Amino acid sequence: MALFPIQGIYQDDFVVLLVPIDTEDPMTVVAEKIAHHAAGVRVPPASGELRIKYQGELLDPEATVVDAGVPPLGVLQAVAE
Amino acid sequence: MPALRRSDWYDLARDLNWNLSYVTEDEAFPEVMSNNYGITPNEKWWGWDEPYKVSYREYVHNQHGKDASVYSVNSVIARSRMFEELDPGWKSAIVAHYGAIAVPEYLAGLGESRMGRFGRAAAWRNMALFGTLDETRHGQIQTYFPYTLLDKEPRMDWAHKALHTNEWGAIAARHLFDDMFTANDAVSTAIQLTFTFETGFTNLQFLGMAADAMEVGDLDFGALISSIQTDESRHAQQGEPTVKILVENGYADVAQRLVDHMFWRSWHVFALLTGLSMDYYTPLEHRSHSFKEFMQEWIVKQFLDQFRDFGLEPSWYWESHFLPELDWYHHALHLGVWFWRPTVWWNPDAGVSPAEREWLEEKYPGWNDTFGVYWDTIGDNLRRGEETKTLPETFPMVCNMCQIPVVTPAGFRAGKLESPEPQIHIHEGRQYVFCSEPCKWVFQLNPARFAGHTSVVDRFLGGEIQPPTIPGALEWMGLSPEEMGQDATNYAWAFEGFEAPGAAAS
Repeated sequence: MALFPIQGIYQDDFVVLLVPIDTEDPMTVVAEKIAHHAAGVRVPPASGELRIKYQGELLDPEATVVDAGVPPLGVLQAVAE
Repeated sequence: MPALRRSDWYDLARDLNWNLSYVTEDEAFPEVMSNNYGITPNEKWWGWDEPYKVSYREYVHNQHGKDASVYSVNSVIARSRMFEELDPGWKSAIVAHYGAIAVPEYLAGLGESRMGRFGRAAAWRNMALFGTLDETRHGQIQTYFPYTLLDKEPRMDWAHKALHTNEWGAIAARHLFDDMFTANDAVSTAIQLTFTFETGFTNLQFLGMAADAMEVGDLDFGALISSIQTDESRHAQQGEPTVKILVENGYADVAQRLVDHMFWRSWHVFALLTGLSMDYYTPLEHRSHSFKEFMQEWIVKQFLDQFRDFGLEPSWYWESHFLPELDWYHHALHLGVWFWRPTVWWNPDAGVSPAEREWLEEKYPGWNDTFGVYWDTIGDNLRRGEETKTLPETFPMVCNMCQIPVVTPAGFRAGKLESPEPQIHIHEGRQYVFCSEPCKWVFQLNPARFAGHTSVVDRFLGGEIQPPTIPGALEWMGLSPEEMGQDATNYAWAFEGFEAPGAAAS
């Protein structure tokens, strides 16, 4: 377990955020951690399941950043399916 | 009265150029101080000629008169209640202005004095001497005036303090101005500071600001800015003759690159400061035009004229990036500055009351759909008494060129960008994050110049900010709780048309 910084973009938000996650976090948790800073804060919570998109591809909800090969400060988008 | 007219002696007295014999040209004008871009011998620069001429005697006489006039206004107004009665948003605009501009004006004196020594023609060095004195005056006067208001607004001391802190906006200003003049050679400074930034942006901006100040009743700031603008319009003329020499000697591409580089950088900081002031901080009843209209009618038109007059082309990013950003970029920055308001030294005015939103929608059709929705959610939270939801718990990513938060998702949402993601660039194993293709392009022009700099986020991740929390970062930025920005109207805008402010807190 280790703290791991990513660049997070919540669907329809206006800014790219520095979001600290854990290397053990599955993408479902990563999505929640991104959403925490934007959903209901600046944009209404998205309806539907939140997925993580990396380099144009949706990642497995159970994958971690290590599994998915996301580097520190990789850009992850939280999008509603 | 002088026995001779100025025109009878000016050129003779001014053009004290001579061929060097004791030292080489490179020794007298080292490239790091004065890049000739291949135009040698130095005689090729001696045709440099400024359009507006002034003698030292006239200069001193004029400046003395200006100072006597503007300090008199300040002395009288300091004893009045004028400042207290100004609109809160306007006060924010001038607190922000002084912090971002006063010390850089003084630093511009370094750039001017470098041109005063390393300018490649005597006429140029002569004009740069006046520029050095101008900028020294501007640094002093824009520190003195806010200091006379300290008893009414303690954060006026950020006029001197801001550039000596790690506050993010101050870092953005320092990074820009170091690139533009503090750490630039004389030839590039003439094109990037005086031609691009002063002639292109600030000279016109100061005209507009002076008019706006008078309109809102801020006679003090209006008199100050008018006085400064008259100096700017004189020393800014160093750019044109320098561009002409480059173009005449076949180096139009060099001039073009220097302009393109600094126009983009200036635009981003200009949007941050002036965009917010014009469209959100200036009281609605005193807005004569929107920021976009100002940009189109003044800045864009003048640059297109200049490009045409000097045989240059509109910058490569003009149509693809710059013009589209006029519709969305400063709106996103405003939202960010307001949301991260504890990180700035002024009180951001949300400027989104129902009447203001109507104005924004009229000036920027579609604003309600793209930006109003964010303010809807923020307003809902305030009305529910959930102020904590309107304050930051993390940082935005910051561009490794302009040092401004990365707001590409707003551009994507506005339909102006193809992706919400920032530009990523790897250089010698390090990842750099850019807010736009032109910011990345500026980096790639000269990586050695920019690669060593670390953004606020880089420093945070590198362990320089302790404790690594928002409060730790605010302390690192030099912001005490009393200095941190708050909403300028105590959230009154969120309750207009709903219920009385404060009701939600109960």
